[in-house]
Amino acid sequence: MNRNLFAPVLILFLYVAVSGQPLSGQQDAGHANSHSTSGGPETGAMAPDFSLKVIDGRGKSMRLSSLQGKVVLLNFWATWCEPCKIEMPWLAELQTKYGPQGLQIVGVAMDDASEKDISRFARKMGVNYPVLQGTESVADVYGGLEGLPVSFVLDRSGVVSDRIVGLVSESVIEDAIKKSLTGNDNTKAAK
Amino acid sequence: MKIISIVSTLVILLFAGAAQAEDRVTVDPISPVTVRKGSSAPVQITLHVQPGFHINSSKPLTPELIPTHIGFTPPEDLVIAKVQYPAGVLMSFPFDPATKLSVYSGEVSVKAVVIPAPQGGTGTYTVHGEVKYQACDNNSCYPPKRMPIAFDVKVTSASSKGTTARPTRTSPHIHN
Repeated sequence: MNRNLFAPVLILFLYVAVSGQPLSGQQDAGHANSHSTSGGPETGAMAPDFSLKVIDGRGKSMRLSSLQGKVVLLNFWATWCEPCKIEMPWLAELQTKYGPQGLQIVGVAMDDASEKDISRFARKMGVNYPVLQGTESVADVYGGLEGLPVSFVLDRSGVVSDRIVGLVSESVIEDAIKKSLTGNDNTKAAK
Repeated sequence: MKIISIVSTLVILLFAGAAQAEDRVTVDPISPVTVRKGSSAPVQITLHVQPGFHINSSKPLTPELIPTHIGFTPPEDLVIAKVQYPAGVLMSFPFDPATKLSVYSGEVSVKAVVIPAPQGGTGTYTVHGEVKYQACDNNSCYPPKRMPIAFDVKVTSASSKGTTARPTRTSPHIHN
């Protein structure tokens, strides 16, 4: 390679390697009203399975794959996250509204608070769906979850049909749920 | 050789830039403090919250929110006292216009006082500490972070202006 070109090419290569960003500046598309997220399952990919302790579950755990057949909204949140507090009552409403059609919302608490504190907080927010105690390993496979809230909508076979990063309006969340519930997803809906 | 030098510099800058991009809060280098035995001297820690972000004040309005806190682990010969945080600014954000939060944004100056312990000696000491904060923007909140800080304190004798410096003593680093 021409010595004059070697340095610029190497610098460009290193920029992409270090920043993780393409040179065009384009970011992951994701939902129209959501921020981009780095890493984690893309839409159309199978959601990574996990088993996590259920808050107030008397020691029981829940495995994500056990929910196949339902549309799942996996909502990562934390007690210190103000935007998360805003959407939790919305999620409770949506669980009530769409639960009979096969929606199961699952909260995953991503903070160091005690189980008792998480439970108390969730009750205060009117949560009517299971809340799991998150772990770093689960965070890693879901893209690091650097910013919260983050939600993944999974179709009835566990494939990610939408991901929502940051606080968006309730209607955006509802639309994502309805899209999966009506079978406008990647799989045949289980009845 | 010249190319290697240029490339090395740029690599360092690129890595620094990538690290900086994740720093929602930075802290200025802390000026060294000189204090005479029997008196006290101020120290100031200046944080910079990056544009578009805010952090909770030292006294957030709800117990779940994580306050900004600076902890010090001074050597035995020093006391760090009277840590004074600025008052938080009451602001509401697009995610909940009806609720006000007590937050810091922009430049945040935290003041404290360095006091040599009566039984301590003279010399130069290094005080370690850490800033704990939790940042949010208008849509998302980010996990609590701990940022190490350090500054030097020169303790001189009460009677003389100069001092014979002892070997530097440091406080233990904080590991979490």
